[in-house]
Amino acid sequence: MDRAIRQRLEERFGEVLAGPVRQRHDETEIRIEPKDVPEVLRALYDEPAFRFQLLGDLAGVDTGDSMQVVYHLWSTTSPDWLRVIAIGLDRDAPRAPSIVSLWPGAEWLEREAYDMFGIVFEGNRDLRRIFMPPDYKSFPLRKDFFLPDDAARSPGAGVRPMEATHAPRNTPAGAVRRGGT
Amino acid sequence: MTADERGAVGDGADDLVVPSAGQPAGPSSALVVPGATAVAAPIVVRNELWSAADATAYDGGRASDITHLAELEASGIASRDDARWSGVLEIIPTKADYVLDLLRANSLWPLLSGLACCAFEMMSSATSKNDIDRFGMFPFRASPRQADVLIVAGTLTTKMAGPLVRIWEQMPEPKWCVAMGDCTCSGGRYKRSYSTVEGIDRVMPVDVYVPGCPPRPEGLIYGMMKLQQLVKDRRGHWPERAVGPTVPESV
Amino acid sequence: MTTTDHRRPSADDPRVLLDEQVGMYEPVPPYPPRTEREAEFYTLGDGQLLINIGPHHPATHGVMRVVMKLSGETIVDLDPVLGYLHRGVEKLCENADLHQTIAYLDPLEYVSSLFCEWPAVMAYEKLLDVEVPRRAEYIRVLTGELNRVSSHLLAMGFHALDLGGLTPILYSFIERDEIVEMLASITGQRMLFNYFRIGGVNGDLNHEFMSRLGDWMSRATEQIEANVGLLNENEIFVRRNRGVGVMDPELAIKMCWTGPNLRASGVPFDIRRAHPYSVYPELDFDIPTRLEGDSLARYLLRVDEVKQSLRIIDQCLHQMPDGPVMAKLPRLLRPRPGRAFAAVEGPRGEYAIYAVSDGTDQPFRFRIHDPSFLHLQSFGRLVPGKLIADWMTVNASLDPIMGGIDK
Repeated sequence: MDRAIRQRLEERFGEVLAGPVRQRHDETEIRIEPKDVPEVLRALYDEPAFRFQLLGDLAGVDTGDSMQVVYHLWSTTSPDWLRVIAIGLDRDAPRAPSIVSLWPGAEWLEREAYDMFGIVFEGNRDLRRIFMPPDYKSFPLRKDFFLPDDAARSPGAGVRPMEATHAPRNTPAGAVRRGGT
Repeated sequence: MTADERGAVGDGADDLVVPSAGQPAGPSSALVVPGATAVAAPIVVRNELWSAADATAYDGGRASDITHLAELEASGIASRDDARWSGVLEIIPTKADYVLDLLRANSLWPLLSGLACCAFEMMSSATSKNDIDRFGMFPFRASPRQADVLIVAGTLTTKMAGPLVRIWEQMPEPKWCVAMGDCTCSGGRYKRSYSTVEGIDRVMPVDVYVPGCPPRPEGLIYGMMKLQQLVKDRRGHWPERAVGPTVPESV
Repeated sequence: MTTTDHRRPSADDPRVLLDEQVGMYEPVPPYPPRTEREAEFYTLGDGQLLINIGPHHPATHGVMRVVMKLSGETIVDLDPVLGYLHRGVEKLCENADLHQTIAYLDPLEYVSSLFCEWPAVMAYEKLLDVEVPRRAEYIRVLTGELNRVSSHLLAMGFHALDLGGLTPILYSFIERDEIVEMLASITGQRMLFNYFRIGGVNGDLNHEFMSRLGDWMSRATEQIEANVGLLNENEIFVRRNRGVGVMDPELAIKMCWTGPNLRASGVPFDIRRAHPYSVYPELDFDIPTRLEGDSLARYLLRVDEVKQSLRIIDQCLHQMPDGPVMAKLPRLLRPRPGRAFAAVEGPRGEYAIYAVSDGTDQPFRFRIHDPSFLHLQSFGRLVPGKLIADWMTVNASLDPIMGGIDK
């Protein structure tokens, strides 16, 4: 819980923040629009008051109504982890800017987010599937992709269909499109 | 020894038991290939991804004119059981068969097919404390051409299913397969996943199932000794083994 | 060039025509390139060829496939292909209870399973605002450091094995077997321990564990010195590793490296000191760092870390407080809706979990961050211009575990 970093963030990024700076335990969280991601992360990277030069994680999240890209950063200037959430990506055609120019190591992380969610990162030279086979059609971690339930099928049935039966209990109501894949 | 056996095998008249067609499974049986059960018809995964800009490229899409191997396969000669060194009418094993089975049982060379965590217990069973070198199984061959046993240790995913079946096919007969670990027996803790194969018996015939997550090295050694027993009893010889899970439909 | 049929029947099974098998037989994929990088990679220059290493390969630390563009024996570029062990853990965890997710996480980095469970339980403890008893924290550190020693010794053994030395792996496995039997006496399992729980650990230390640990600790230092001495002075090993795969510190940070690989490049970043968690602030240990950044430095750094881990284990044993090993929690856990991120210093680097909870007993999003995933990405920066044997060295020294990479 670092009050100082919260103040600095609010002063510097007040206008582009899409919500209050939240803090809990040892994490500080800010929310921004996807179009602001490159400039905010560049400012966090370069400016001496911030110096968030270590990328801890890049994750995609499907909230049911929209998608998010979540970045976790670390710096010597603050004892907290900084979480930057780019909110409001469209669920049907999610696009976000790529941060490969700042961290070349993010290329594979973005490939993974693309493979699992379908989030297209503009600026990533190598946006292809990384885990699933290259001709795979679905995006597995989306909330409208359901795991097959093994009690519903006989084990001798052979090859499994990729999408079937039921949704997990915590699927948000808007994410489920019954009767279609 | 070899001249006699080769003469007997090449005769064709001893083959009273014709191995049933349709096994071992092709490499794409883990993928969707419905209806491709004829032996002579090639299993072709159709190319739906793109079409060449030049219509005459790739030979215009005509069928291949390299047919000698397809003819060989269709004639059934290749599926014969060449490893039985047959005794009298293939029913009464001769002393040579018995000795050969003993030889095979006591020097089963495994193939290094460690996919995931069970590989570590397999390696642990191969190293000093639990030593399977005392059973003759020390040389873990890297090449399938030189191996007898395929110990599949680790989760099989749909992406890896193709290469694994290819490896199985590259192993020369006689060969056996040991499914080590829960993931290879039945899918294990990843049974519900979208990208794992629920047990390798869906894609290749399995002789010994060693359950456990991961099985202790002693468990794997027990499984290997069962396999030695199998080899010596000439049971479960590979052409007659079925591909597919052995759990009944109603379960 | 005459037009020949591009497809040929497989020599092993004539029912299979090779052209249509995507990504399995020929290094060049049978579809037009989809990205710039793919186009650039699969366009061969003069005298270049593509070869395929893996996925079934004795030295790829699991199932990894690397397509290499070679000019002679010199590597020009390479393209690792992953996903041969992708088991869909993140999706499975979304459909499981909080406790069940711990069991799904073990087989990710299977040689260091406790470090896979640790950030998950830490993230849930943040979401539930649970205070972990001190004894449980000490037990976590103790078992974790034992697991780190075992993992580093295995890494050293595999490093030698990949270079062709068949003996050190046997010594590594002896040590690993002893440590793993120790952990089996408290966790019940030799490998995928499933020991950490939200709010503590599953069971207290017992007599068998303490006696095995005492036996092992009494001879650990000399034994490890002897095992490591097989390689430290070995001319072949040193010459194959020195100067190979040198990573620049700034580039390492930009490629999101963490762990021993980063510290061997000169950056003293260790999450146990940079962002302390558990009871590490109370323990006295150093962060070994080396400046050369080559494979030999990564190897020697792991040796140093083993020594530091032994120090930590010693202190844990002396400072272990009494008390419960598990916090009092309801059986059905419903964390508050929110997000939590927890990172630990595993043997390969920063192992992190980002858990999003929506108030139900299942995680809404369970993101697993694995360090080796990012180390593999840097192959393209480390080996062009070198020989294939040098790629082998770099691969072995980075110590990837494909279970964690592919999730």
